Amino acid sequence: MKAAIAALVLCAAVLLVVPTASFVYEAGGPEACARCHEMGSPVGKWQASTHRNVPCSACHGDALTTNPNFHLSNARRVYDHLRSDLSEKPGLRPADVFAIVPRCQKCHQQEFAAWSTSPHAATYKNIFLDQKHNSTRHLMDDCLRCHGTHFDGGIRDLVSPLNNTGPWTLRRAELADQPVIPCLSCHSMHRAGHRLEQRRLEAKTLGSRQEIFRPSLAFFDRREMAPVPVSLLPLPAIREGERNVRISPDQRQALCYQCHAPLSTAQVFSGDDRTPIGVHEGISCLACHDKHRQTTRASCANCHPRLSNCGIDVEKMDTTFAKPGSKHNIHTVKCLDCHPKGIPPRTKQTAGLPPRQN
Amino acid sequence: MMPLDSISGGCDLKRRIFLTTAAVATAACNRKSSSLRFFTADEAAILDAWLDVLIPGDQDPGARQAGVVHYIDLQLTRKFRKLQPAYRSAIAALGRLAVQRGAPSYESLSFEARTAIATQMEQGALDKSLFPDGGKTAFNMVLDHAMQGFYGSPRHGGNQDYSSWRMIGIPPMPVRGRQHYDIRDTYPQKAPVQG
Amino acid sequence: MALPKVHAVIIGAGAGGPIVARQLSTAGWKVVLLERGQWRTPADCHKDDLRNQRTSVLGHPFGPDDEGNPRVVESPNGQLRIVEPSGPGYNNNAACVGGGTLSYGAMAWRFQPNDFRMRSVYSAKVPRAFEGSTLEDWPITYDELEPFYEQAEWELGVSGDVSTDPFKGPRKRDLPMPPLPATLEHTILEKGAKSLGLHPFHIPMLRNSVPYRGRPACMRCRWCVGFACEVDAKCGTQNTVLPAALATGNLELRTGCMTKEVLLDHGGKATGVAYFDAAGHLWEQPADVVVVSGSAIESARLLLNSKSKLFPEGLGNRHDWVGRNLQGHTYTGALGLFDQETYDDIGPGAGIAVCDYNHGNEGLAGGAMLANEFIRLPYQFIGNFRPPGLPRWGAAHKDFVRKFYRRAIAVQGPTQEMPVFDARVKVDPNVRDRFGIPVARFSGYKHPHTIEIGNAMAAKAEQWLKASGAIQTWQKKAGPGISGGQHQAGTCRMGNDPKTSVVDRNLRIHDVDNVYVVDGSVHVTNGGFNPVLTIMALAFRAGQHIAREGQRS
Repeated sequence: MKAAIAALVLCAAVLLVVPTASFVYEAGGPEACARCHEMGSPVGKWQASTHRNVPCSACHGDALTTNPNFHLSNARRVYDHLRSDLSEKPGLRPADVFAIVPRCQKCHQQEFAAWSTSPHAATYKNIFLDQKHNSTRHLMDDCLRCHGTHFDGGIRDLVSPLNNTGPWTLRRAELADQPVIPCLSCHSMHRAGHRLEQRRLEAKTLGSRQEIFRPSLAFFDRREMAPVPVSLLPLPAIREGERNVRISPDQRQALCYQCHAPLSTAQVFSGDDRTPIGVHEGISCLACHDKHRQTTRASCANCHPRLSNCGIDVEKMDTTFAKPGSKHNIHTVKCLDCHPKGIPPRTKQTAGLPPRQN
Repeated sequence: MMPLDSISGGCDLKRRIFLTTAAVATAACNRKSSSLRFFTADEAAILDAWLDVLIPGDQDPGARQAGVVHYIDLQLTRKFRKLQPAYRSAIAALGRLAVQRGAPSYESLSFEARTAIATQMEQGALDKSLFPDGGKTAFNMVLDHAMQGFYGSPRHGGNQDYSSWRMIGIPPMPVRGRQHYDIRDTYPQKAPVQG
Repeated sequence: MALPKVHAVIIGAGAGGPIVARQLSTAGWKVVLLERGQWRTPADCHKDDLRNQRTSVLGHPFGPDDEGNPRVVESPNGQLRIVEPSGPGYNNNAACVGGGTLSYGAMAWRFQPNDFRMRSVYSAKVPRAFEGSTLEDWPITYDELEPFYEQAEWELGVSGDVSTDPFKGPRKRDLPMPPLPATLEHTILEKGAKSLGLHPFHIPMLRNSVPYRGRPACMRCRWCVGFACEVDAKCGTQNTVLPAALATGNLELRTGCMTKEVLLDHGGKATGVAYFDAAGHLWEQPADVVVVSGSAIESARLLLNSKSKLFPEGLGNRHDWVGRNLQGHTYTGALGLFDQETYDDIGPGAGIAVCDYNHGNEGLAGGAMLANEFIRLPYQFIGNFRPPGLPRWGAAHKDFVRKFYRRAIAVQGPTQEMPVFDARVKVDPNVRDRFGIPVARFSGYKHPHTIEIGNAMAAKAEQWLKASGAIQTWQKKAGPGISGGQHQAGTCRMGNDPKTSVVDRNLRIHDVDNVYVVDGSVHVTNGGFNPVLTIMALAFRAGQHIAREGQRS
């Protein structure tokens, strides 16, 4: 009996030691976390970030977290630390990444609502068990570059069978309803804070006092298992034949371009590219596409407050904006598409406007 | 560490404009956390001053600003574990050399004086009491690692904020899309040839 | 412990083994394929610039592990040095399913007809190439191998355009895929080559330029040679013939299995192999036919370690030819700096070649194909590009990198080596691997004529760069040591005379009815080209032969 009690006490002690340690760390504040060298960099960055008033525990959990995996993984990290076997940047595992999403939601309700109804909130089930796709196209590892950036494996670890007849199932059933592009695919919480606007670009982009990019914007590089800040991502030099296409200097687009990318030939509209040419050349993706919702509804009014020169509401013109089946893709539509005989001369009212393209 | 001024109008990442900001931010970050794993702070200071002459900062960050010392520190607890004694003794020897030359410490020597020492080391011309081979082996070891830490990917602990990659003008992640095709579009569609 | 008998056991899932497995399993044979490494996929491409098969300063991901896999290097003065797989001198080829073909640069060359007839072509013209060398004709000709080259090109997938190469051997069928569009470097070098009257063309590559057999086209990133392809556009054995072989249901692939020895009965017939599984348990796999495909160094080591009453010095080693004639390639070339940009960040980089110098060089027995080098990552540039006289460090060096990283081109080629009997693989009497199997030991030197040819090729490469507009050029010359590496070959020579070769023209070991060697070991000479397509063609040929002629119970 005594032995049993002793064993029970010992078990309890072992079970409680990790949460207790968590509590001690929590009480010590962020500096306590930073005492482990691998935490130094994230904590240092977080202290300069817009999230600096959000305590570590709000996102990462604390002593009272009920999920045993959280404590187990902490224990494992301590063990790895003692063996000096931790990576320089302690990366998040997929489970951690998904766990962050509702925590973001707590404060960013509006953004969450917009995102969760958008195509970017597609789930693993939507993307990888799609009958039409899987029967006509190959499932491959490269799908994960954009759909499932945080998945820690290859396509053979995710979908079975890998053929075009199916029926397909997810090997990791728990991912079925998780988003393939969670918040952390595009945002890195620990980025330092900066002004959000850039006067230099006001004349070139839309709206007065244009927001250029959020400090948190960073593309999660699946190979590096780390986010690359948007300031370091390139805006491609897009070409239409031999001609260089003018693209907006809006750096936020660099994030879009990581997935909506042209082939190595950099030709406009090759691969997944949707760089606008024609009347909309030079306009940022985000001029029309809502950041989190991605829809373009009502976006025309930003630039076309009046009816067009010919008296038609631009939203009702024959483009893919009004009708998805239209042969005038809104990304490429040119004046000549609707004025095949040439563009009518300017009227008195439009004489003062800037020159038009083509 | 992502200054707003770094808006770039194209693929060209060579924006001198954000170097100063980046350098300041990096230094600030380094001061805050002691992220060393193997070296003591004094050893790291000596090595940092040594690396500074191997890849000096100019209009672009050098080894010091790119945090190459962190690359070496990290790898000494991993792949380079066997080199721990070599580093420790080389750094100690440089410390003694500085004292012999009447300086309070190696890192307080001028850039020119440190460059002269490095030149002597490369030729194996330092005092044999400090380095049995005059410094050649230690020099080559540190030079190799300096180049790895500076030009290698930031994931290994050096090249902070991709500073060397920005210097030479290659983006960390190229923009690369994928050709779309249906299973039936797979090449070849030609009928098998005779033979 | 003995396992159920199969028709064939194949050792090594590199360039050769899976092709034989494909041929035999399709013909209805029950086959076991043993591979000491793991099966890696594009998910294992971490694009790690310091930890890959080419730049392994922080180790290499596709094996073998640094722990427990040593080799021994014997220097000319008899000094011994133990080396680890990711270190210099090991002559590593990856240990994983697909072997080198998972992470290679993937040039897909056919040897030229003259590469199979080196003695016939040069014995009268260049007698000094034969002094102290074992330069010899192959027992088979280009024409005999041609259908199998074609089979390899179409089954695995090769892109490129060799139509403007006038020096190629006759071919019945074009390459299955068009070349990738030319890079900036390609266009610069093309002009230079044409001004010299050379015949440049698009290098044939085992890389999809268009979607092919269910895998996508190359996306042209800069992480190429040394890496598993992120989009699976490189065609190795692991993503082509091996899945096809497994789909027959007749093949069992066992990874993490290190073969200890080939087992022989008293009559001199192989009964199977003994191997260790990943947990270190020793198993015996009986088989009617044994195929050794471990690459030139490991295959020689396995045969030398397979001692029996009939072969006390190792299997097939009655006349002391196993492990001899180790050869890879002597890579020489030149580097050039330009006042215009040459770097466009488009992989795989290598794309243009000339074969004008493979044969017909005055006073030289052979030569090399010359091509531009693969796309470089920043740290690789540091190691490879430094003009003579430029400091290795300091402001001047940094300034050079800043200025010339995007304005430099390297041209180089694999010089065909004069085989040397004393360039060899032995087994070390003392050093053992983690299973207790004696490891490989290298010794020997390079033939002086190889060095002479290599240096002549460096001069040609420099000339090409100059003609292409380089403002400064310098040569990368040949060193005296043995070569091996990914191009390792020659250690189990193919020949008609059992006294001067190890395997016959069908790759069967002389005097043993049922053991074959199918990898670069059997190459008599290694061509002035990357050897992988030749290994693959030989494997298709051997597989067909075994399926037709081999005895299964």
